[in-house]
Amino acid sequence: MSAFPPLPAELTIYAVTELRERWLAALDAAPPDGPVELDAAAVVEVDAAGLQLLVALSRRLGADGRALRLAAPSGRLREACAALGLAAMLDPADRPEEIPA
Amino acid sequence: MTRHADQDASFIAEALPAFVSEAKEQVASIEQLLLELEDAPDDRERLDALFRCAHTVKGSAGIFGLDRVVAFTHHVETLLDRMREGRVALTPALGTLLLECNDEIRALVEQAPDAPEGEDDRARRAALIESLQAAGGDAPARGERAGNAVAPGAAAAGASRDGGAGPGTGSDAAPGTARWQLRVGFGPDTFRNGLDPLAVLAYLRGLGPIPRIACDAGAVPPIDALDPETCHLGFALALDTDAGRDAIEAAFSFVREDCTLEIDGPASSGDVSTARPGEAGPARAGAPEASASAAGPTTADGSATTAAATATSADASPRPDAAAATAPAPASTRGARGRDAAEETRFIRVQADRLDAVINLLGELVIAAAGASMLARQTRHGALVEANHAVSGLIEEIRNSTLQLRMVPIGETFSRFRRVVRDTAAELGKDVALELVGTETELDKSVVERIADPLMHVVRNALDHGLETPEARIAAGKPPQGRLVLAACHEGGSIVIRIDDDGRGIQRDRVLQRAWDRGLLERGVVPPDARVLALIFEPGFSTAEKVTNLSGRGVGMDVVRRNIESLRGSVTLSSEPGRGSRIEIRLPLTLAIIDGFLVGAGLSRFVFPLESVVEVVEGAGADANVDARGRGTVALRGRVLPVVDLRVLYGLDGPSAERSSVVVVQAGAERFGVRVDQLLGQHQTVIKPLGRMFRSLRGMSGSTILGNGEVALIFDPVGLGQLAAGAPIHRSRRDADRAHAPSPLEGQPT
Repeated sequence: MSAFPPLPAELTIYAVTELRERWLAALDAAPPDGPVELDAAAVVEVDAAGLQLLVALSRRLGADGRALRLAAPSGRLREACAALGLAAMLDPADRPEEIPA
Repeated sequence: MTRHADQDASFIAEALPAFVSEAKEQVASIEQLLLELEDAPDDRERLDALFRCAHTVKGSAGIFGLDRVVAFTHHVETLLDRMREGRVALTPALGTLLLECNDEIRALVEQAPDAPEGEDDRARRAALIESLQAAGGDAPARGERAGNAVAPGAAAAGASRDGGAGPGTGSDAAPGTARWQLRVGFGPDTFRNGLDPLAVLAYLRGLGPIPRIACDAGAVPPIDALDPETCHLGFALALDTDAGRDAIEAAFSFVREDCTLEIDGPASSGDVSTARPGEAGPARAGAPEASASAAGPTTADGSATTAAATATSADASPRPDAAAATAPAPASTRGARGRDAAEETRFIRVQADRLDAVINLLGELVIAAAGASMLARQTRHGALVEANHAVSGLIEEIRNSTLQLRMVPIGETFSRFRRVVRDTAAELGKDVALELVGTETELDKSVVERIADPLMHVVRNALDHGLETPEARIAAGKPPQGRLVLAACHEGGSIVIRIDDDGRGIQRDRVLQRAWDRGLLERGVVPPDARVLALIFEPGFSTAEKVTNLSGRGVGMDVVRRNIESLRGSVTLSSEPGRGSRIEIRLPLTLAIIDGFLVGAGLSRFVFPLESVVEVVEGAGADANVDARGRGTVALRGRVLPVVDLRVLYGLDGPSAERSSVVVVQAGAERFGVRVDQLLGQHQTVIKPLGRMFRSLRGMSGSTILGNGEVALIFDPVGLGQLAAGAPIHRSRRDADRAHAPSPLEGQPT
């Protein structure tokens, strides 16, 4: 299991700076391979800055050939991902079939 | 959020007042729209407009760094978006919540951006935000765990997408819509400016479904190289909409400065099928699917499109908007939107005091021109008189059009009362329908501003004292829902505002009893009906049996009357017990300039507002019988008119005229004659307010300076009419006497 804390309720511009620090620390602490799974059930507020941070994390992991998975994303997070064409970010099992990206 | 240090502080300081005034307008629109939506919850256009208002407030607040406004409005916007997607319905409770939130936004907007904030304020806002989230269905998602059923919101979203234009079903885009290809790269400062691409895209979805969108993830640096507050997001997307290019661009207006935007399109819905192959894979920037040849006016290919095109031509024709005309015109049912945009560009915002300065100068110009005309006439130089006449004519036109600039429809003031009526009625447990009539009636802005408070009082009074509870109404054999009508119309140079209710009316015996108790009237004296009701406007009068926190402790109606009279207006009350009451407020259209009719009495000059002059009977003065107090009657074509003699009434000196005349004046529903010495003709008059010393002078509304430098007093016809009708009534109290049969000169300094 990764050392990543669950996603906070507020995944927005107000939280991204702190979140980035925590994730960088978690990256150092995490096992160097295997997918990273974030518990995304608690997300209530999300904006593009928050999603961008997820994309950036995914990019960093992708460079190492690792995958980022969002487990049990909340409804709000799903919608936001779909709205920004980032549905692929969601765990494939959870991906709404009708949204291609 | 961090703010840019290099933000130009002086620009912000200069533009902030404009933002505040604009935001207040948006907030007012939000309130209106919410109230209207309560009556028609399925009105898509209003819902969209509501969302746009909130979006605009948030967007522009972001530019000004008003973080509290942005943060709070964001939650409102989120909920509105859900309503728009049909996932949350507008219930009365939700309406109340949104109205409260709107009040909060208004308060935040008015607050200085760096004003210190109490714990209470923060707690209140947090509570509102929590309610908003609960209403939006967010709260339950908080605790949900993996494997659980999909949140209800998301399920519904899926369903709505199925119903909409899903991918691979591009052809099911509604007839008349066109597919546009957009590529947008948001600028690095987007987040820091308080803007959220998510909201921009949500706004865009308001124009039509986005069947496909791809994020250019490659542009986002890995997290270790990322400044998380810098925006690297770019998107390629397809949009099916019947809106035009300008409407699409408008979605990006807040970020336009700072983003790259390419808009291609549209292919008509019929052409989409040829573009379909491109849809199979994810869209990549720079690969527009629509062939260039498809970009152009939609060709009618099928009856549906033709029908849509016909519909468009009807509402497109009155739009000379060049942008709309040159943009490829997707068949549009959104004419209203286009018109809105076009109207916006036709308005300019002018500071009220600049306009006032022009109007003041114009007043001086009118006076100066009158002087010049008079001198010209004295020279008996034909060409000079003629030239002066032409100048005067032009000045009059300028005057009229300048005053027109200050005219605003009263509807805006009226519609404020929707909220008052809604909330007050709810608080009192009453059911009241508000009806607004004649909302397009225009009057001077300065009058509008000062009529709102008295109106508020009258409306509250009607709600509180006039209209009954549903039970009482049913018991009285009336429909349970009360009716309150606010009506406005123009009537002879005045604006008349009527407030009608179908409540219990005013019980004359109770008014009388109260007047006796309060010593307003000698016990046992029973004046005529009209006078009984007028007692309600006396200082210190209240018939409320229990004091409520709404219409207060009887400080009401006398203040209303005073306010209205200070606007040169009058207020009257009529009532039918059990059937309802009517309050009629009569106001001048403008406080600045009137057309007057100049008369002389003794050595003094007076001006009647021209609209109030019905006819002038030269030499009829001798027929009038006038008593020692200057009041009497005159027979005019077999009818008896009350008449006042100015000379006697105001105790004027000067040699008596050989031939006095009678000016017949209309004041409200009454007609009366005024005996004057000389008729001096029509005169354009700039109203100067009376000094404080003269304020209590009865029958006068202002003064003016004539071309030769003389001062003339301007009559208030209604006030003068009261003097004319004022048969002496014996009263025990000086107060009452003062109100009804005063000496006209009591305010005159000795």
